[in-house]
Amino acid sequence: MSLLLIVILPFLGALLPAVLIRSGRGMAAAGAGLATAAALAGVLAHLPRVFAGEAVVARLDWLPALGLSASFRLDGLAALFAILILGIGLLILFYARYYLAKADPAGRFFTYLMLFQGAMLGIVLSDNILLLLIFWELTSLSSFLLIGYWSHRPDARAGAVMALVVTATGGLVMIAGMLVLGGIAGSYEISQIVKAGPAIRDSGLYPLALGLILLGAFTKSAQFPFHFWLPRAMAAPTPVSAYLHSATMVKAGVFLLARLWPALSGTPEWFYVVTTVGLVTMLWGASVALFRTDLKALLAYSTVSHLGLIVMLLGFGSKAAALAAVFHVLNHASFKAALFLSAGIIEHETGTRDIDRLGGLRRLMPLTFALATLAALSMAGVPLLNGFLSKEMMLEEAAHTTYLGGVWVLAALTTLGALISAGYSFRLIVLTFLGQEREDYPTKPHDPAIGLWLAPALLVAVVVVVGLFPALARPLVAAAAGAVVGADMSGVVLKIWHGLTPALAMSAIALAGGALLLTQARRLQWAGVALARLSAPAVYAAIMTGAEAGARRLSAALHDGAMARSLAALVLVALAAGGWAFASAGLGPETRAMLPVPPVVAVGWLALIVASLWLPFLHRDRLLALVLIGIIGLMVSIGFIYLSAPDLALTQITVEVVTVVLMLLALNFLPKQSIAEPFALRARDAGLASAAGLGVGALIYALMRRDFAAPTISAYHVENAYSGGGGTNIVNVILVDFRGYDTFGEIIVLGIAALVIFALADVMLRRPALRRLIAWTPDQPRAGDAHPLMLVVTTRLVLPVALMVGVYIFLRGHNAPGGGFVAGLVVSIALVMQYMASGLAWAEARLRFDYHALIGAGVLIAGLTGIGAWFAGRPFLTSAFGYVTLPPLEKFELATAMAFDLGVFLTVVGAVMLALASLSRLSHRAHHDERKRGETG
Amino acid sequence: MTYADFSTILPEFALLVFAMAALLAGVWTGKDARAGLILWLSVAMLLSAAAVIGLGGGPARSAFGGMFIDDGYARFAKVIALLAAAAVLAMSADYLARRGLMRFEYPILVLLAVVGMMMMISAGDLMALYMGLELQSLSLYVMAAMRRDSAKSTEAGLKYFVLGALSSGILLYGASLVYGFAGTTSFAGILSVAQEGHLSLGLLFGLVFLVTGLAFKVSAVPFHMWAPDVYEGSPTPVTAFFATAPKVAAMTLFARLVYDAFGNVVGDWTQIVALLAVTSMFLGAVAAIGQKNIKRLMAYSSIGHMGFALVGLASGGVQGVQAMLLYMAIYVTMNVGTFAFILSMERDGAPVTDIAALNLYAKRAPLKALAVLVLMFSLAGVPPMLGFFAKFAVLSAAVNAGMAWLAVLGVIASVIGAYYYIRIVYLMYFGTEGEALDTRMPAPQWLLLMGSALVMVVGIANLFGLEAPALAAAQALVQ
Repeated sequence: MSLLLIVILPFLGALLPAVLIRSGRGMAAAGAGLATAAALAGVLAHLPRVFAGEAVVARLDWLPALGLSASFRLDGLAALFAILILGIGLLILFYARYYLAKADPAGRFFTYLMLFQGAMLGIVLSDNILLLLIFWELTSLSSFLLIGYWSHRPDARAGAVMALVVTATGGLVMIAGMLVLGGIAGSYEISQIVKAGPAIRDSGLYPLALGLILLGAFTKSAQFPFHFWLPRAMAAPTPVSAYLHSATMVKAGVFLLARLWPALSGTPEWFYVVTTVGLVTMLWGASVALFRTDLKALLAYSTVSHLGLIVMLLGFGSKAAALAAVFHVLNHASFKAALFLSAGIIEHETGTRDIDRLGGLRRLMPLTFALATLAALSMAGVPLLNGFLSKEMMLEEAAHTTYLGGVWVLAALTTLGALISAGYSFRLIVLTFLGQEREDYPTKPHDPAIGLWLAPALLVAVVVVVGLFPALARPLVAAAAGAVVGADMSGVVLKIWHGLTPALAMSAIALAGGALLLTQARRLQWAGVALARLSAPAVYAAIMTGAEAGARRLSAALHDGAMARSLAALVLVALAAGGWAFASAGLGPETRAMLPVPPVVAVGWLALIVASLWLPFLHRDRLLALVLIGIIGLMVSIGFIYLSAPDLALTQITVEVVTVVLMLLALNFLPKQSIAEPFALRARDAGLASAAGLGVGALIYALMRRDFAAPTISAYHVENAYSGGGGTNIVNVILVDFRGYDTFGEIIVLGIAALVIFALADVMLRRPALRRLIAWTPDQPRAGDAHPLMLVVTTRLVLPVALMVGVYIFLRGHNAPGGGFVAGLVVSIALVMQYMASGLAWAEARLRFDYHALIGAGVLIAGLTGIGAWFAGRPFLTSAFGYVTLPPLEKFELATAMAFDLGVFLTVVGAVMLALASLSRLSHRAHHDERKRGETG
Repeated sequence: MTYADFSTILPEFALLVFAMAALLAGVWTGKDARAGLILWLSVAMLLSAAAVIGLGGGPARSAFGGMFIDDGYARFAKVIALLAAAAVLAMSADYLARRGLMRFEYPILVLLAVVGMMMMISAGDLMALYMGLELQSLSLYVMAAMRRDSAKSTEAGLKYFVLGALSSGILLYGASLVYGFAGTTSFAGILSVAQEGHLSLGLLFGLVFLVTGLAFKVSAVPFHMWAPDVYEGSPTPVTAFFATAPKVAAMTLFARLVYDAFGNVVGDWTQIVALLAVTSMFLGAVAAIGQKNIKRLMAYSSIGHMGFALVGLASGGVQGVQAMLLYMAIYVTMNVGTFAFILSMERDGAPVTDIAALNLYAKRAPLKALAVLVLMFSLAGVPPMLGFFAKFAVLSAAVNAGMAWLAVLGVIASVIGAYYYIRIVYLMYFGTEGEALDTRMPAPQWLLLMGSALVMVVGIANLFGLEAPALAAAQALVQ
């Protein structure tokens, strides 16, 4: 049978219970069992080849770009685990069929169980570490579902989440380790990685990869200090505990260590980390188990301890130790699953699993007594049972391994571990089965029907048969060990009697000590209490709540919703990025001489700086801030004049005037002072603003002292402005010709902006906003005289002159500073002054043209001018010009650019006036009503 | 504009013309009464544009003198963005109608934003870049503030606008510096000037500021400040849109810019991008833990995910870009499904965004809860969901590029991040009894939720063959 089919079978089997559950849970279990049995048969059929040292492979390209292939490989190690998974799986299915209560949804249970089985089988058969990772996390997920199966119980929910958090997290961490490992080996195929062992161990990334992979393996296999989830997972139904949390899933970490053993082991890092963690886990788990009274908790800690033992053996790095580890995997799975199932029977039949409430079950449940006792004695390491054999091999290896400079350290500690292990095994037997029969069992105990005892009986049969005839297990164990170490191990002999070795002595000490420990249990109670206080779940809970609170505090501090803070952060980071660029770029020598700085320029510059610096400090007073902005604008315009850019200066100064006037109008509706803020905040803002300003300044300075990298574009404009655009004012030609498209877009945007202001103001003038507007009172008393006579007279006198100036500037624009834009602004200012001086009513009564129409006309004229070029067969907005002589006048130029400029002019006037009129209408309305209220009140 | 230019931008042109026609039709024929029709027509337009681009094929071409590039890379990203936009529009129809938000401007704004995105994706010139970026951003600003009667929505829109304008300004500053020192705005021209070891101060500054501006658009830390507030404040359909298509466009543009214009100075930007990636992954993971509002949580989630996509970009090379594209495709699919679910979260007809509302959801709606479980595990990157492959692709690209440290940090961040996704699953399955959510879910939302969850599971078979086009796209970018 192909390996692909074998892997898929359990997943197919997961579908069956869902379908068959309608025909009863017997059918559902049978369906699942059939799939399992078929897969098991498939694996067994391959055994002869595996025993011969070959590996069965199957490969399917999946996502080659990611290095992911569905490649499976069945060698000795995989075969051992697959047989455990499928064989015990079959027994568990049978047992669970009779174990689950009537109320439990059995179909779901079998489905989850089969999902898990498939995932676990996938782990051991994968020959690709990515594939392995996928199955690895699938086991975490299915274990989560199985632990939380009785989701009405709080301990089941908590246990499920804890197991998921610990094992899935470990798995995710392992992804990084696998990535690094694959990166070093150049392949994600395990068979390739294993071959690249020396290269991996020599790589500088080896410690990183090792650490990450070990984290994944240790969390899965419940190694100290990640062991705490396993006892909590005991909230799961007992078949799950027997299957996942003793026989198979928790061995996934061990499996991985064994699988990557040739690639990773043999270094001091491996030896000390793996051996130490295993050793500590073994001792810790055993010590805690000694004092547990809950049968399942005792078995859980004992599982932790035995897993530690196996991990420690793999850490030794010797072939014999690897052999012992593999053998112990088999032995532990058989006796521990049998024990769990027995514990399940006891709970099922007596209604409790607290050994303090049990005792004397020997006569009441003789069959269960026999099974559990044999399994527990095997766990204790009593001769003629399989646990003895692998424990003996372990002690033998420990006695020969130097640890921390001494041979005796490991020998002593492992003997201690074995001793405690014997102690709790004896305690389990004595307290549960021996002693007096009690009267107060929750329910009347008796041996169960065959459905419950058959599975543990078969497992105990394995315990005894292997214990008596170890040679029977030899081919499988030898093949598995050979697969681990990558060498032929078929020469090994498994036997009971090795002669008088140190291990035998240690074993004897352990058994005797274990018996002694049992008699002294009462005196050691204090140790149990002390151990219970060192509870890892409490630490876990503290870490989780602490981390969550910390995360909450962090996000609250970072994101308090204040925009100023976000802006500050943005500017700060941009500054830092700029600083980094400044520091890391090669500046090169300065190639341009500094221009002289005359005193007048210095004064202007100083005024600019002082006004800018003041602004962040004085911005609370809005009027003052506006004045300061005005000063800055003015200095900039003067700067333009000084640097021979009269066009820019003209534009700048008119724009300044218009914006200040509009902002004054808007200010009318705002409080004169903005909300006070702490000084520290203002200092922060000032500091940031100064730094940003200085940074930009420094950048500009650095750039201006050096030659430009590319030839500038000005030469082209100087050359073509007159010949191509017909104008000697290059700035104007740029606006109306070279970049006419931009200007066209800009005037449209300007028009839209004015329309938006109009629309907003219009909304304000309607209910319900109007009510707010009418109720609004300015925070300062109005000046008595709204329209000072002097101002009225002056502005009316100035109007015609200003209009003339506007026309003049417009006409000369093409060849001298000026142009439609500036002219539009000048005319607007003249009209704005009328509004300001004489009031809205007066001005509106006289200025009766529609600003909307003005904007529309402007855009239309500009657009039509552009389209005109099409008729001449030229692209949109290509300008044409010619010279005309009308008799009384001198020869003058006519250019299409002028029509375009007219469009600009009209749009600017319309936009500015529309914005102004909208704002002043609001103001007027409010004042009007205010006055009326004054009269009536 | 020649005929070749025109045929190259045909899909964009068609969308644009449709948007304007819809605008006129909407204004003249009954305004919001036509909104539903316009919305579904827009979905159809987006889908057909995606079909035309996705199935069209043909060699790479460019229009307007190289300003607009239509290559395999652009087509790949455009199809994702178009499909995402169509999905989000389809699933928001019911939500909008029931909240009285069904305005005809909404689908039109989405269309305009999408045209902006397509322009960004195809940009071959700083001008085109900026034009596309602003068309997109301006549409998004308005959408964020679409619910004008809600203080949160208007605040979100304002914040987004102010911060976005500042970042646009920074980007523009960078662009003008680049132009000043390269003498050209075309990416190809900049590429020939920006050579290893000869990067002048102005160009480096320009690069840094361009990256800063784009980092804002992909909400990479530390330019992410807007994301939580905007995600929370905007109407949920808008949030769903924010989390999907614009992210694809911005990320694609990011890669386009750094490769097409600065492909000869890889070392200079790799460090910045790697730094952005690390900070985003970690902040996204850590800050999400404390969130109670699921929209806010998704904001941090998207920040973290952008960090992972940036890992792909930082790794560089064909593999890195391919990984980034795969990541974005998978990320968008997951988010579409998740937001389809979030859109359906309501109690007594009123929308709910509190995570606590999910308590024991699995009991009332087992199938939907299962779909959300799949999506959450996928978002967390837990194998075997598709999300794992996305993460794996970028992380292995990092390892192969010799940046194992980046991959390791990424995994640690994903471990932290897994916590809050798993918490949602925990609440749904094992939470405490509380007020129940309504189980009503309109068909489009249901279909998208189930479809996306199904994709997360079925996709592991062969990633729907996405890998080859992504590779071709990456090769088109990284010559």
